[in-house]
Amino acid sequence: MLTFIARRLLLAIPVLLGVVFVVMLTIELIPGDAVSLMLGEHATPEAVAKLRDYLGLDKPLLVRYVGYVGRVARGDLGRSIQQNRPVVDELADAWPATLELTAAALVISAALGIAAGVISAVWPNSAFDALARLGSLFGLSMPVFWTGLVLIVVFALWLPWMPVGGMGSPAHLVLPAVTLALPSLAMVARMTRSSVLDVLREDYVRTARAKGVAERLVVAKHALRNAAIPILTLLGLQAGQLMGGAVLTETVFAWPGLGRLMVKAIFARDYVLLQGAVLIFALAFVVINLAVDLAYGALDPRIARQG
Amino acid sequence: MMPARSALLSALAVAWAMSVCLGSVSPAEAQKKGGTLTIVRPTDPVSLDPQLETTAPGAWVYFNMLEPLLTMDEKMQIRPALAASYEILSPTKVRFKLRPNVKFHDGTPLNAAAVKFTFDRALRGTPPARWASLAGSLSGAEVVDDLTVDVMTREPYGPILRTLAMYCTGIVSPTAVQKMGPDFSRAPVGTGPFKFVEWKTNTHVILERNPDYWGDKAPLDRVIFKVVPEEGARMIALQTGDADMVLLPAPAQLAALKRDSKYVVHEVVGGRVVFAGMHAGLAPLDDVRVRTALIHAVDRKAILENILEGSAVPARGVLAPSVFGFKDMQLDKLYPFDRARAKALLAQAGWTPGPDGVLQKGGQKLSLSWLAARGRYPKDGEITEAIQAMFKEVGVEAKVQFLEWATVFTQFRAATLNQHMFTLGWVTSNADADYSLYALFHSKQVPPTGWNTSRYANPRVDALVEQARRSLNQTEREKLYAEVQDILAKEMVWIPVYNTKEIVVTRASVKGFTVHPVEYNLWLRKVWLDK
Repeated sequence: MLTFIARRLLLAIPVLLGVVFVVMLTIELIPGDAVSLMLGEHATPEAVAKLRDYLGLDKPLLVRYVGYVGRVARGDLGRSIQQNRPVVDELADAWPATLELTAAALVISAALGIAAGVISAVWPNSAFDALARLGSLFGLSMPVFWTGLVLIVVFALWLPWMPVGGMGSPAHLVLPAVTLALPSLAMVARMTRSSVLDVLREDYVRTARAKGVAERLVVAKHALRNAAIPILTLLGLQAGQLMGGAVLTETVFAWPGLGRLMVKAIFARDYVLLQGAVLIFALAFVVINLAVDLAYGALDPRIARQG
Repeated sequence: MMPARSALLSALAVAWAMSVCLGSVSPAEAQKKGGTLTIVRPTDPVSLDPQLETTAPGAWVYFNMLEPLLTMDEKMQIRPALAASYEILSPTKVRFKLRPNVKFHDGTPLNAAAVKFTFDRALRGTPPARWASLAGSLSGAEVVDDLTVDVMTREPYGPILRTLAMYCTGIVSPTAVQKMGPDFSRAPVGTGPFKFVEWKTNTHVILERNPDYWGDKAPLDRVIFKVVPEEGARMIALQTGDADMVLLPAPAQLAALKRDSKYVVHEVVGGRVVFAGMHAGLAPLDDVRVRTALIHAVDRKAILENILEGSAVPARGVLAPSVFGFKDMQLDKLYPFDRARAKALLAQAGWTPGPDGVLQKGGQKLSLSWLAARGRYPKDGEITEAIQAMFKEVGVEAKVQFLEWATVFTQFRAATLNQHMFTLGWVTSNADADYSLYALFHSKQVPPTGWNTSRYANPRVDALVEQARRSLNQTEREKLYAEVQDILAKEMVWIPVYNTKEIVVTRASVKGFTVHPVEYNLWLRKVWLDK
């Protein structure tokens, strides 16, 4: 088990190296230069050249890449081009917020999605099922910035229950987490419904019912555990998507997370900050994938034996 | 002895008289001290140090903490700030007498050495300050005695006083800079009416009153600048009371807010002109008749009314009215919206209608390429599209390419511009005509050196702007700039569309606030809350 984890984490290193290279290459290829953007419209060419030289941006791509990787190995993520502030500090300001938002959204979409999906599967074509299917279509189709603003208007303006935005108390987390969770919740519900429906048709479920096992136990213990694999895969993918897609929610709710930080870095061509942020995301993906794989092992002994 | 009833009546009369007298006190006396002002705006600062940041998000905040030698009031008049008086010693040297007994927020005294330190750091630091590019010929400062400092320029520089009144030339505490190093940009120390408390990245910046300020102490206890990127969310925050002041409010809601007594809409004509620029070096736009025709083809009034909906005013020239040296170019008189006239001028220039309605000459279509960004300036995309449609009505075809601002900016700064038309905005940072007319219209200021994106070249204009730049006689300079604008009016290389309005919305309980024509000058020192 431990060797499995260790091997997976070691495999993550080439992944991260590749990610850094792709980001650096992309920034290099798109037009626009960090220094001129930073100094603004009124900068003289001498000022631009001086600053570019000072920041070492004159050096060729491979030289900068090797230098960057070397520094990262020593734990130094560099200084952001815009603010000359350690990237570690900038990321430390932002990533707990993203973690909080993504985790809350994942919990909401998993809990409510699985619950709704199971109920729909156990009572297919009921009124609840129809409503749930309509609701999930709505959740999948409506853009985040629309649902977000509507929720703000309803729950912050008309009914003064929630704050308008920002971060702080648990109350601040409710609306953004719900907004971010909606599309994900919809997908989890649909996936759970179809997965559980499939399993409920299996022979071993019929056997369990024939044995006289209570319906509740049939669903919870036998059906759900077997239906869990595809749901788990989806949740793993959703976790990644929630992290990356949080930027729109963060903008609407003024949530100070990594998504907004990354967009700001892209517009300013601040590749040092951008790489730091992408590294965190890449690392998070690696950890999530590892967790999902381990969970497969826990859920299905056949997979664990294959290792 | 008075009967009881008339005693009561007299008492009531006295009480009524007193309330009338006290009720009509001037606002200054009824000013309430205390309270926290919450301001919402779209972006977080990059830095609170002018060394690293000259854009509005940082400037709005540090404007209240750092003070320059001079300042510009809302009427764009130069007033003393940290300098109590000044004297022009020579065309390249101005002597300033500093106010005595002024202290920085860290307790160290303001003196000539601090001024010299600030300018050396900005102009000769590694790297130099972001604002060094805005400082023109400013070369440094010399200490004469503790409270006297001489500011020098490399050559005679007419805009020197306005340059030293810019928001970004605030004097910093040398002790703090040396002690804090790079952390200074996150927690600056100046002499202003407010001092720094806290900055939570992408969330808020908090300032509090400076109790040792040299001037009138600010009525407010605290100011909180919050980041709310979404325009709709900013307006909702204003309505729920989460915010007292909104910077960059939603233009569509202004009309409704003006009718509501719970809010006050503060507006004033600002310093930015947004225009459709023409590449005067690229045929067919090198023909002044074609350029003139294009201006006649644009219905600027319709654009202002339907697209900008009152959030801007028509541009009256290439400069904003708040700029020193501004002359109203009478564009509506010289170039009224007149399709017939446009068509006539184009015909005069040899362009005849082709089979598809697009004009042509010698087998060539009158087809113009246009580079623009969306969202860099209010409604820039919509205005470009509107003008494109208006051109079509007179037989001119315009092909617009919309790209992201950073990309567009790179192309504008390149040595060659391959497009005929471009959409751009320009703000005169030091509110002096030299800043704009020199960089925009001098023949040697073609990118990447300057901002003459139109590639305009007129030797008389060159001579005039050079002379005006070197003169310290402000009356003479005004005359020279007037002539420049007269010449430009005859050879237009821009289609000026609108002049921004600086608009700030506050709750009615916010008093003592006046919006300034320069967007960076957010004056909070006289603001008080009537709560």
